[in-house]
Amino acid sequence: MPRLLFGALLCLAAMHGAAAPRVPADAREVLERLPIRPADPIAAELRSLRAVAAAAPADPAAAGALARRYFALAMAQGDPRYVGYAQAALAPWHQADHAPAEILVLRALLRQYRHDFEGALADLALAVQRDPRDAEARAWRAAIHMVRADYAAAERECAALVPLTDELQAIGCTAYVKATTGQTREAYLQLRDALGRAPQSGPAARLWTLTRLADMAARLGDTAAAERHFRDALALDLSDNYLLTAYADFLLEQHRDREVVNLLRDWARADTLLLRLALAETRLGAPGAAQRVQALGERFAAAGLRGERLHLQEEARFLLELRADPAAALAAAAENWKTQREPRDAMILLEAAHAARDAAAAAPAQDWLARTGFEHARMRRLAAELQ
Amino acid sequence: MRLALALVLALAGAPALAHKPSDSYLTLSAEGGALRGQWDIALRDLEYAIGLDADGDGAITWGELRARQQEVAAYALARLTLRADGRPCKPVVREHLVDQHSDGAYAVMRFDAPCAAAPQRTLEIGYSLFADLDPTHRGLVRVQHGTATASGVLGPDRPRLELALGEASRLRQFLDYAREGVWHIWIGIDHVLFLVSLLLPAVLVYSARAWGPAPSFAPAFWDVFRIVTAFTVAHSITLSLAALGAIALPSRLVESVIALSVALAALNNLKPVVLARRWAVAFGFGLVHGFGFASVLADLGLPRDALLVSLVGFNLGVEAGQLAIVALFLPAAFLARRHWVYRRLVFAGGSAAIALIAAAWMAERIFDLKLL
Repeated sequence: MPRLLFGALLCLAAMHGAAAPRVPADAREVLERLPIRPADPIAAELRSLRAVAAAAPADPAAAGALARRYFALAMAQGDPRYVGYAQAALAPWHQADHAPAEILVLRALLRQYRHDFEGALADLALAVQRDPRDAEARAWRAAIHMVRADYAAAERECAALVPLTDELQAIGCTAYVKATTGQTREAYLQLRDALGRAPQSGPAARLWTLTRLADMAARLGDTAAAERHFRDALALDLSDNYLLTAYADFLLEQHRDREVVNLLRDWARADTLLLRLALAETRLGAPGAAQRVQALGERFAAAGLRGERLHLQEEARFLLELRADPAAALAAAAENWKTQREPRDAMILLEAAHAARDAAAAAPAQDWLARTGFEHARMRRLAAELQ
Repeated sequence: MRLALALVLALAGAPALAHKPSDSYLTLSAEGGALRGQWDIALRDLEYAIGLDADGDGAITWGELRARQQEVAAYALARLTLRADGRPCKPVVREHLVDQHSDGAYAVMRFDAPCAAAPQRTLEIGYSLFADLDPTHRGLVRVQHGTATASGVLGPDRPRLELALGEASRLRQFLDYAREGVWHIWIGIDHVLFLVSLLLPAVLVYSARAWGPAPSFAPAFWDVFRIVTAFTVAHSITLSLAALGAIALPSRLVESVIALSVALAALNNLKPVVLARRWAVAFGFGLVHGFGFASVLADLGLPRDALLVSLVGFNLGVEAGQLAIVALFLPAAFLARRHWVYRRLVFAGGSAAIALIAAAWMAERIFDLKLL
């Protein structure tokens, strides 16, 4: 409570700094635009899924389908409200250990989203126990081990996946681990060839593979190949928050700020993308930049008010690059590293420590870099300068 | 296919939280005997819960929201319970507005929540808004009680919050109201000027159509004593009667007469009409000033179960503030009374200035203008 209170006090300005409440003069004034129109096909799909689930409240298949659709929507649009709706669909199995495997996997998905990685792994362990051939549960375990930088465990899950799924996806799993542990070139070639051998693969699989390939190519210094992979991924025309984030970061690294603005102009609703948009606009000295930075600050403050800091990595970057507050950025990056240990988490820790001239604080990222042999030219340079 | 999706989600989901999750902002204030509140709820959440977009065009207009205000209030207030010291307070919406937060437009409801008893020690909030629709929804609550602020986060995992409203002991209440009384007399410039106008001549004597210095301290002191006592007794009477609801006068009339009293008291120094019986003037106009104090007290709000303590506290505060002014004024004026600066500048000039200011106030208050 004292922590919440402190947070609340800090954030009172954000909370009550909203424009003053008013009574609009014109009944036709549009107050809010909804992300999905009632007439959109997606709305119709959700309506029918909701109706099926409501008609059979004890049916895990119906609830699972609804929750899965909402979660996919949350990821595509970067809107956490849909995570809440997915969670509501699973409410009857909120705590139950006897839940069907399908529900356990979805529950794990929601738990990892809230950074409850222990809880997610426990659910997935139950799901695998119930059905050792559950490829999805294994894939999620691999993904969570990657976030926690437990590469040996991730590799074991990838090996277990081989007999359960097709070649592209099995290689995708292994390549992702390899690319994070100093074997990027080998991983890149394997994954690229696997994609070439699987022209029939679905758009979601292609999107994932292309995004990974782009990241690997960029780190190998082949900017042209990275650009090509990103373009191919964008051409699939699936709205995907992760792809946009990765591509925006790629463009920002190369100071192609104007392209970032064009890419993300309509994505200001998503915090992760608003951050990139604000960075690009600030660099360009765009007239609306200050407003973007302020909006972003308000969103972080609002999250703090809830007592949640799920996007510490972005907050650290915000503090470092847009607020020029290296000390606060370093504190956020260090806090973030306690739960999240992906390359980008190590990167922001290094950057913040470098800016704050605090070599000791960078130690966990230095260790990680030494242990993994992660290939990233700028990170290596920062790490060397800090030593 | 599903696996690849899983990997995409795992990679994207962990680090990339976007937008703002669903929050509502609930502000409550317990002032005096009343509980008031403001509740900001996101239009997107209301749309999901009860539907606002009547024409289905994907845009919520003010007209669409306005048409559903009754339903919004009924839906939301059914999911909020307020209890002060264990007894229920029933929220009634006073006005509907809209506001913009960092993630979009919000419906804003301002409400009064009369309680069975005035909130004293604890405020208990039961919150279940959107609990069935979105378990990640949170209600961010802020409670103001006097000068203290408390806050908390409510949601499906934590549907109840009990906040201590602070020590509401009788002594504390008494002191709070006494402080308000002192404060009000010090910032209530019209009361101060009235008193000063009556006190200025106390260190002087009027004879042969001219003011001369009073020969000794004792008569000056007793003159001041009579005036201050008369003023105090008078305004205490009307303050109490008005605060207890026995008499009510329109505030514009009261404020205008107060301004008139200041002007007359100041003019009386320049061209004396009443001399020895200035205490009677203090008493007569003191009755009107009492109504002025009462309106301040009404703004503060009197706790119903501690009416007398607060009333006496406020009144004594006013007296203490008044005595402080007298204690500063009298010795200084007495010492300066023989000097021309006091008689010409302070007494004559001061009285003229006060009369002018008071005349301006009078015009403002009678004709509802803004001059000063």
